[in-house]
Amino acid sequence: MKFQPRSTEFSDDKRTWQRFLAGDVSAFETLMSGYFRTLFHYGCKFSGDQEFVKDSIQDLFLYLWERRANLNADADVKPYLMASLRRLMHRNVNSKSWVGEGGLTVPEDHFEIEFSVEQEYINHESTLVRTRQLDKLIGELPKRQKEVIYLKFFQGLDRDSISEIMDVTPQTVSNLLQIAIKQLKTHWKAEFLTFFMLHLLL
Amino acid sequence: MDRYNDFTVEDFVWDDFFRQWALAPTPETSTVWDEWVGSNPEMLEKVQQAKAIVLSLRLHEPEIADPEITRIVKQTIAKTDEPVYGFLPKTENTYRLLTYLVAASATLLMLAGWAIYTLNPKKGDPQSTNIGSPTDSNIAFIEKVNHSAEPMRVDMEDGSKITIAPAGRLRYPKKPNADKREVYLEGEAFFDIAKDPGHPFFVYSNGLITKVLGTSFSIEAYYDSNEVTVEVKTGRVAVFAESDPAVKEKISGTGLQGVVLRPNQKIIYSRDEVRMVKTLVEQPEMVVAKALTPQFEFEDTPASDVFDKVGKAYGIDILYDENLLKDCPLTATLDNQTLHEKLSIICKAVEASYEILDGQIVIYSKGCKN
Repeated sequence: MKFQPRSTEFSDDKRTWQRFLAGDVSAFETLMSGYFRTLFHYGCKFSGDQEFVKDSIQDLFLYLWERRANLNADADVKPYLMASLRRLMHRNVNSKSWVGEGGLTVPEDHFEIEFSVEQEYINHESTLVRTRQLDKLIGELPKRQKEVIYLKFFQGLDRDSISEIMDVTPQTVSNLLQIAIKQLKTHWKAEFLTFFMLHLLL
Repeated sequence: MDRYNDFTVEDFVWDDFFRQWALAPTPETSTVWDEWVGSNPEMLEKVQQAKAIVLSLRLHEPEIADPEITRIVKQTIAKTDEPVYGFLPKTENTYRLLTYLVAASATLLMLAGWAIYTLNPKKGDPQSTNIGSPTDSNIAFIEKVNHSAEPMRVDMEDGSKITIAPAGRLRYPKKPNADKREVYLEGEAFFDIAKDPGHPFFVYSNGLITKVLGTSFSIEAYYDSNEVTVEVKTGRVAVFAESDPAVKEKISGTGLQGVVLRPNQKIIYSRDEVRMVKTLVEQPEMVVAKALTPQFEFEDTPASDVFDKVGKAYGIDILYDENLLKDCPLTATLDNQTLHEKLSIICKAVEASYEILDGQIVIYSKGCKN
């Protein structure tokens, strides 16, 4: 769970991006190395096949390189890369299932986030229970709500970036987020209350 | 802060400002929250619990190691366009690698030689060139000559900055061309060219054409010298002779064709001996941003990893036999040395030697397995 400040690396990123567009191989390397892990993590949410995710990132950069003359020099790099990977993975999986290679989960039905509960921060058993409940509740959210929660709270992205990545309007992002949080709060409260009462009775 | 007065634990957990403080507190945010809890002591327990939840719920991400990322990035770059001067696979046997390199350079030299020899009608005379010479047309030119003893800076309309060394002479059309930017140089100059992939930038100097899309580099092309040298500081630069048979395609192509130079590489073009030699600049500089300069502290690190790290920082390909060098551990701190000092120290420590070949560094080693 890390908040990533947007402003500090921003201009460096843009400069690297523009060097990339100008055909600079060292910028290619900087950009791809710098974003590989973020993209890999994001891609793995759509597919459990890590090799497929790595291949997709490679394809993405080769594709961008090939088309660099036509790309927007002012693009916001991180959301742009994430959005492009998302599109590319969806397309690749669709074409794979199209030619009958089947067996893969179609990512549009798939967005899995996994948490680990770090107990060092927890003093009370009740806090542990609440954290585990939250983990479970996030897992039960519909996939688009899950993705919005992931991008906002765990990638530190703003509404406009999320709207670009998920290819929906900013208003839809706000709505999804509001519904998700409301859902989490309500169920969480209810579950905790149940737990608490059981605890008292026993 | 009043809006927090009737917050529940659930509310806190999803509140941006609260999360920011819980995950990455700053003196400012800590003051704000400490004061608020101080005047609302009944909220302390909720705040503590919410903070514990925010901190303890960690996203579990699949792991991927740095060397794996480096490997994939290298592999990807190898798949981009450059046919001759691309990245070569590092796991190959050094001798085979060497043969390959020598063959590749030989081919290139022969081609360049043939091209220059057969197609340049009056070789050695800069006025006889048929492409791009300012005397060819009736276009009005601006001419800047540096008569002083100090470098002279010229700011171009497109944002490019050109620094002309004393006695240098730069000419360019008064009215910029619609699809390309062009200048003519005699003498020495440093170019910091504004990025504009749609309008490639050309420097014509003593029979050598330098083409870039946006980058910085220097050219030395004295009228009375047989050699033209081009050194690259950042970005990529393509060079080709004016007498190149494919010169029209190379000028009009959208990418960079010809001999492509990367940062810290240098080309020496000899007009009389009709050859191009690619090497490294004398004192290569790191290509990574200052803030990102890696630390060169190694403890029992395989020499192969050390070379990778150094090569990456300088943007230079270092070729070695991975099987031999992965068993050569190195312990050293190399933050304050130049590239050549670094390489000498590493090579001495693992009983290897190095050579600059074709703008790359080749390591010769017999391994350390005994």
